[in-house]
Amino acid sequence: MTTITEAAILDTLRQVIDPELGCNIVDLGLIYNVTIADAKVAVVMTLTTPGCPMHESIRWGAQNALLGLDGVEAAEVEVVWDPPWHPSMMTEFGRAATGVGSL
Amino acid sequence: MSAAANPLKAKSGPAAMPFGAHAPSVTLPLAFILTGLLALCAGMGWLVLQPELLTTYHYNQYVIAVTHLFVLGWICSVIMGAMYQLVPVALETKLYSERLARWHFAFHVVGFIGMVWMFRVWNMKQVGHFGSLLAFGVGLFVYNITRTLRRVPKWNVTATAVAAALFWISFAVTAGLSIAIAKCSYDSTEGLATAQGVRTFVNGLRSIAGFLSRFDAIGAMHAHAHLGGVGFFTMLILGVSYKLIPMFTLSEIQSKRRAACSIVLLNISLTGSYITILLRSPWKLAFALLGVLALAIYGWELATILRARKRQTLDWGIKYFLTAIVFLFPVSALAVVLCWPGLPLNTFTGQLENVYGFLGLVGVASLAIMGMLYKIVPFLVWFKRYSIQIGRAQVPSLAELYSARVQALGYWMFLAGVGSTCVAAVFCSEIGVRMGCGLLALGIATLVFNVGLMLTHLFRPKARPFTLQTPPVPTPA
Repeated sequence: MTTITEAAILDTLRQVIDPELGCNIVDLGLIYNVTIADAKVAVVMTLTTPGCPMHESIRWGAQNALLGLDGVEAAEVEVVWDPPWHPSMMTEFGRAATGVGSL
Repeated sequence: MSAAANPLKAKSGPAAMPFGAHAPSVTLPLAFILTGLLALCAGMGWLVLQPELLTTYHYNQYVIAVTHLFVLGWICSVIMGAMYQLVPVALETKLYSERLARWHFAFHVVGFIGMVWMFRVWNMKQVGHFGSLLAFGVGLFVYNITRTLRRVPKWNVTATAVAAALFWISFAVTAGLSIAIAKCSYDSTEGLATAQGVRTFVNGLRSIAGFLSRFDAIGAMHAHAHLGGVGFFTMLILGVSYKLIPMFTLSEIQSKRRAACSIVLLNISLTGSYITILLRSPWKLAFALLGVLALAIYGWELATILRARKRQTLDWGIKYFLTAIVFLFPVSALAVVLCWPGLPLNTFTGQLENVYGFLGLVGVASLAIMGMLYKIVPFLVWFKRYSIQIGRAQVPSLAELYSARVQALGYWMFLAGVGSTCVAAVFCSEIGVRMGCGLLALGIATLVFNVGLMLTHLFRPKARPFTLQTPPVPTPA
């Protein structure tokens, strides 16, 4: 049986991009929490702005990516707005990729 | 090889596709947008072939025809199509009826093509007939978006601006139809009143015509134009940018009070301007200054939003849009000059009026729309082609759907075209106008090229299997 790790999940979620910003959702700082229980993965994430036209696409993409990971039988992705996203949550890679200056 | 590396092995999602909860099918806005682009190409081609339209006074059938081609065929088509897409997503609600929107499209296309053709041959009776079709379509649009707005969970300044714009477009269409009625009903009523219903209808038209004959025709036309140009286009530019500019630049509204103030003042200004332009009252200067104040407050808020942005690099779509906003300065200055009490109507001031209208429609409205098209069309294409593949395969970003280099080239061509056409129009130079409009046509060609590139993704998608590439992890300081 494959052991699912948080690092593997984050690597997988790096395959999902915010198409407007052209950067993956992990380096954008959109992933708030990852919970692993046996073969079930639950991810809590946010988006850069409420009313984002890509809302459903990105949530769907994250779920698809998780279900594609070896060992994952069920995946749940919840989008929350609290705390609101802020560019300070981005990694340096994310800032460089999106043209966000130093904060 | 993991399942994630091979999209074909990925398990299917647990539920049906969740998309479309807010937005309608992408084919609807795309149909409006492509119609608009065709009208833009036709309109600019017309100006290249007949540059004298911008070097003579604008109260003639050809200028009115080409203006309606730009206004209804290009600007209204794109704005209305985009609104069916953007209003639901921007205001986090659902479109009331996609079916009504499809009927609107049919009435709109038949209506505006017929109107432009009939203006050109100056058959005002047929302008009225085709205008009625267009007005019916606008009625469907206003009803549909109004019902959509009633579902908005949190009312905000953007929703207020959209509601105001719906009121003004209804008023503009009614005023336009009334002008057409005033120009044709006396010739066409004799001998028609054979049945009670027809007689009542014709008497109604005759009453409208009689009422409008109290005002001079040019004043009525200018007042009608401002209802559409300021009430619909400018109102939407202001209202929608309060949502979209923060979204695209990673910023937020800095003062809701300032934003609301700009929308309220613009509405008051337009109400006063309509009446005073119609009556040719010297008070129109006061209301024009109020409009300038509204735009100045808008500019102040926009500049503050941009200063607070987290995304330092502005893409070319945003640059197009912001340049259009900058063009509001010369347009506002011209508005004040042209409202000046006692200003003589001579060839020079007539040309300034031409430049005012041209700069408003091409420099402001068209450039702003072109900028937003670089956001909307990639989104529509991406949504249609790649939203089902995200998480299963490597999909392109929106910016990868078109060429930014061609986009930048188009920006400079368009800017050069606007500037040179305005100068040539002031000096009544037909050759200059033709060259300027030629540059504009080249700028438009770059947009058409890029839209073509985007649309190829619908037929030849460029999603690739995943290649697991973890970005370098930043070293802690």
